[in-house]
Amino acid sequence: MKHHSVLKVAGLGAAIVVAAGVLTSCAASGAGDNEGKAEGSSTLRVTLANHVWTDIVKEKISDFEDESGLTVELTQLGEDQLSDQYNVKLNAGSDEIDVMMYRPLQEGKLFAENGYLADLTDRTADGGDWDFDDFQAGPVEATTYDDKVVGVPTITEQEVLYYRTDLLEAAGVEVPTTLDELEAAAKAVSEANPGVAGFVARTGKSAAVTQFSSYLFSFGGDFIDKDGNSAIDSPEARKAFEYYGGLLHNYGPENVSTDMSWPEAAAIFAQGNAAFYTDASSLYKNLTEAENSTVSDSVGFAPFPEGPEGSKPYNVPSWALGVNAASENQDNAWKFIQWATSPEMTLEIQQAGVPGARDSVWANEEGTASFPADLAKAVAIGSETGVGYDRPLVKSVAEAREIVGMPIVVAITGGDMDAAIAEAHEGFQKFLDGEK
Amino acid sequence: MTTTIEELATPDVTPGPRSTPRPRRRKVASYSIFRVVMLTLVVLTFLAPLVWMVLASFKTNVDIYNPAAALVFTPTLGNYETVFGQANYLQYIFNSFWIGFASTVLSLVLGLPAAYSMSRFVMKKSAGLVLMARVIPGVSLLVPWYFIFSNLKLVGGYEVLILSHMFVALPLIVFIMMSFFDSLPVELEEQAQVDGLTPIGAFLRIALPLSVPGVATAGILSFIFSWNNFMFALVLSGSKTKTLPVAIFDFVAYASIDWGGLMAAAVVITVPIMVIALFTQKYIVSGLTAGATKG
Repeated sequence: MKHHSVLKVAGLGAAIVVAAGVLTSCAASGAGDNEGKAEGSSTLRVTLANHVWTDIVKEKISDFEDESGLTVELTQLGEDQLSDQYNVKLNAGSDEIDVMMYRPLQEGKLFAENGYLADLTDRTADGGDWDFDDFQAGPVEATTYDDKVVGVPTITEQEVLYYRTDLLEAAGVEVPTTLDELEAAAKAVSEANPGVAGFVARTGKSAAVTQFSSYLFSFGGDFIDKDGNSAIDSPEARKAFEYYGGLLHNYGPENVSTDMSWPEAAAIFAQGNAAFYTDASSLYKNLTEAENSTVSDSVGFAPFPEGPEGSKPYNVPSWALGVNAASENQDNAWKFIQWATSPEMTLEIQQAGVPGARDSVWANEEGTASFPADLAKAVAIGSETGVGYDRPLVKSVAEAREIVGMPIVVAITGGDMDAAIAEAHEGFQKFLDGEK
Repeated sequence: MTTTIEELATPDVTPGPRSTPRPRRRKVASYSIFRVVMLTLVVLTFLAPLVWMVLASFKTNVDIYNPAAALVFTPTLGNYETVFGQANYLQYIFNSFWIGFASTVLSLVLGLPAAYSMSRFVMKKSAGLVLMARVIPGVSLLVPWYFIFSNLKLVGGYEVLILSHMFVALPLIVFIMMSFFDSLPVELEEQAQVDGLTPIGAFLRIALPLSVPGVATAGILSFIFSWNNFMFALVLSGSKTKTLPVAIFDFVAYASIDWGGLMAAAVVITVPIMVIALFTQKYIVSGLTAGATKG
């Protein structure tokens, strides 16, 4: 009997404590909500990704706080961690995030469709001097969903061709302007320099998709056709798969691994083991800074080479700022976004080497002065001819990338392309049907 | 960290052909050569990444990728300066330590009596229920947890992290301690009750002091789990309560990765827990096998 009564008392006690705790917290949070609704909290919660862009903005946040009288609470995370956080927090309807930095192409469609992102159409239209029309068309398209603006692009990137000036000079090879010339040049340089690969790029199934996209577009192909069906079995797409994989198969590093993303591919170039490398313009500091690269003095930049359909690199916003639809502090969140994407801030950030999305800043000499001249030129050409996306525009981007990336890997290893493309096409079509 | 535990456990697990009566000399010799070779292999396999990590933490990013500079390079302390200066790791070390300590102590306070009662008063269903907590993948609970805790305005504080880590620690402690209490003879406590102790008194004065090695094992393991836990802290911590495994990802940025800083931070995270594990390995191993051979 004794045990029983002791246990009962303990159990009851615990239940009372828990219940009381829950009640008081609810009461407390209820009061907080009312206060917040009156005129928006003076504390603004901003979630940003680890990026040079963020480092610069962080230094300046005190200016914003002085101007606006708001207090900014900043959370900073790596891109995948950030993504995980959003998925959990926004799914739970959290109002604990006001301003959110997100990847329009990777998760924009999903977030917009789930209603996580507030509609900013009216706010961007009434921007006044802030001038939303100044933003590049490709990136704006990527932050627009169902004709509603849901984000403001902050950082853009294009695919460019990196090359080794010293190796090209020694082999007497001109900088290639077409894909055919690129193949010939890769061959010539690799033959002249045993042990050095002619060409390197991402080889991982999912990682390579974005960098492969420029080849696909330049050959005249696309991931999805106008009717929303898989287009990866078109003759153009096939040529692109074979070209990209063939370059790596024939002139790539020996025994090339098939799960390289940019850190691995860039490292091969930075260690002086490859002559050509195509990847995002935003990566150039990994190649041109002496602490990261042994070839920092001899890196050249060129616009993405022309294919049968011309030079069509992607020109995408890698990051954008949005407002959490569940936030009760949207007016202040918008103030922050306007401040962080103002022409002055964009110029300042671009001067630190982060390509922005404003045409006026790219037209401004001060805006391009900090970039290596050739890189600035390559980027400028890329933004004119570029395509506004670099991966299939679907909800489950990660899954789609796995499917369409498979033939790339098969092409790199020199496998059966007919079977690979047929399988990927069928899988991708099924995937697209499932999303409809 | 599980690797460390396995590694430490290896010598004790080796079967004992010594017990075979009068082994031949040649057999002994070849066996000991085999043993040395296999042990070296295992130790090398486990040590290689650790050695690489420590070496890389003293290199610049260029040297990390350069195979020629694998062993011969000019060491730099820059990475550690980043970790303790710019990246404010002392705060994260404190966070990890405090959350690990508090969740372990609280789990012990709740878990020891629970384990004792489950062991002494056949409570199979409760035991099964506790085991469920080990079976359910933590990730499936994250969304509901986040929802509840954010409505309680607790997200970002130490309380919620301590609570979530207790979710892992408590079942672990209950299960280790249950088998430990099972192996203690009931007669001791019965005798204590004959001598005038209450059942609770018998637990506190007789059973608990006798099970200190088990408590140490359970406590150390639960601290290690908390120290290494990434998932709960990722979602439930705030910028001020970030723990080490989450903070380490700050070295991975979009379009740039500071490998050197990353490795220095990894050393900072690994060394304390390895030191703890080394000094307490006899408890960990004996506790893990406690009750393993009971009939």
